[in-house]
Amino acid sequence: MENIIEVKNLSKTFGNKIALKNVSFNVKRGETFGFLGPSGSGKTTTIKMLTSQLLQTTGEIKVFNQPLKKQKDASFMKRIGILTDNSGLYDRLTVLDNLTLYSELYNVERKQINEILEVVNLQNETKTQVKKLSKGMKQRVTLARAMLHKPELLFLDEPTSALDPVNMKHIHDGLRELNKQGTTIFLTTHNMMEAEQICDRVAFLHQGEIKQLDTPQNLRIQYMDESVTLLLKDNRSIVVNKDEKGAEEIYQYMRSGEVVSIHSNEPTLGEIFVQITGRELA
Amino acid sequence: MTFSLKRVNAIFMKDYKDLLKNSYVLFTIALPIFYSMLLSKISDDDPTMTLFPINLALIITGAFIQAAIVAEEKEKNTLRGLLLSPASTLEILVGKSALTAVVTLIVILVSVKISGLEMLSIPFSALLIALSLIFYLALGTMLGLLSRTVMETSIIGMPFLLLFGMMSMFKPMFENELILNAIGYLPNEQFAVAWVTLSESGQIGDIVGELIVLTLWALAAVVITVITYGKRRFD
Repeated sequence: MENIIEVKNLSKTFGNKIALKNVSFNVKRGETFGFLGPSGSGKTTTIKMLTSQLLQTTGEIKVFNQPLKKQKDASFMKRIGILTDNSGLYDRLTVLDNLTLYSELYNVERKQINEILEVVNLQNETKTQVKKLSKGMKQRVTLARAMLHKPELLFLDEPTSALDPVNMKHIHDGLRELNKQGTTIFLTTHNMMEAEQICDRVAFLHQGEIKQLDTPQNLRIQYMDESVTLLLKDNRSIVVNKDEKGAEEIYQYMRSGEVVSIHSNEPTLGEIFVQITGRELA
Repeated sequence: MTFSLKRVNAIFMKDYKDLLKNSYVLFTIALPIFYSMLLSKISDDDPTMTLFPINLALIITGAFIQAAIVAEEKEKNTLRGLLLSPASTLEILVGKSALTAVVTLIVILVSVKISGLEMLSIPFSALLIALSLIFYLALGTMLGLLSRTVMETSIIGMPFLLLFGMMSMFKPMFENELILNAIGYLPNEQFAVAWVTLSESGQIGDIVGELIVLTLWALAAVVITVITYGKRRFD
């Protein structure tokens, strides 16, 4: 599949501080690509460079098969959508006024505003002044703004960081739908559940370097424990190795009718991250 | 660089809706009108003082309101949204200046009416006001870009208010010819001299020098503002 983003040996320094170290990766058209890492790992710096807000110190970035520097014009900006960590809203204006401005900047039909407000579950707040919204609702308005023109490539920096589980699910459903319609999504998050649920591939970023890059499934298999856990009728959990001795043990438990369930010990992405980097994601 | 009137209009309409709910800006708009009422009671033969209501409208509305509007976009991280949209630099700068320009023109007209100042013919007034307006809007945009908050515009803008708004009043304090000559080249002084000359002779040929100086001020302000925009827009 065609690459929509190609990054080669990307580095960024701020004075003496190295924010990103020789990072290389590709994002394929149509996939949801997750950049996972704790605060300060270089996620936002990467998004800012991919969207022309920051210049890289060294390295190459290609978006839509073109070197990034050459294409910051209206036609390029129409093809991408961006939710940054500090996207602001006009708080004296209503939700509708905020989105109307962007519908005109992107030359989008007004009816799309209603569609996108349903995606972010704010269809009843069109006339509400933004300053009267909660933090989570404001985040949903900025997300709606980023998705309004159904971009080919959507950059989301911590899109659900201020949301409750119900609205997070709403947003995830909306992102999946947008992805189904052809939008490629590049998102940064430190929420591993989010990454597991919506990302086709994830990269673990730690101290400015990519430590691992693969599908969540492959990562789980790669770092899977060589054991299974048996839950027995008397509520005991038994961990059994996946070898000949373990097979015999499982056979005995099954034969005696004590087994309620057998689970493979797949680690979560968060556990894998800790295993690789030695620190938590949050 | 692209230029879409639709996008400029979208920014203008957004600013207009926002202005109606912005008490700080509404109060600031009223200031030059209030001063015009006061000044209408004082008669002065100095052309700069006679034209003070227009000058005040230009610097307070044209520069300071523009600065506040731009600084607020930066303070609340909304300028970033515009920059990351298809709107070009030119569209953003024109869109952000359009409302202030319209408001400034209205304030000038009201101030002139209140102060009883004699207007020039429309083409001559429009020419002089347009050149000055470009200068003050560019100055305001630059001040807004240099400020991190709306409140900071007052601090950063104070020297400019003194220089371009009040310096003419301080002329009697100076005896040095060089300083007095330099003050004479300030845009408000050039504006006043051109206005008075035109009202007396009615000949555009008599104010060519002032027009050149005003044009240079406007060009310099626009160039410095565009450079500042390039450096400070994402801060």
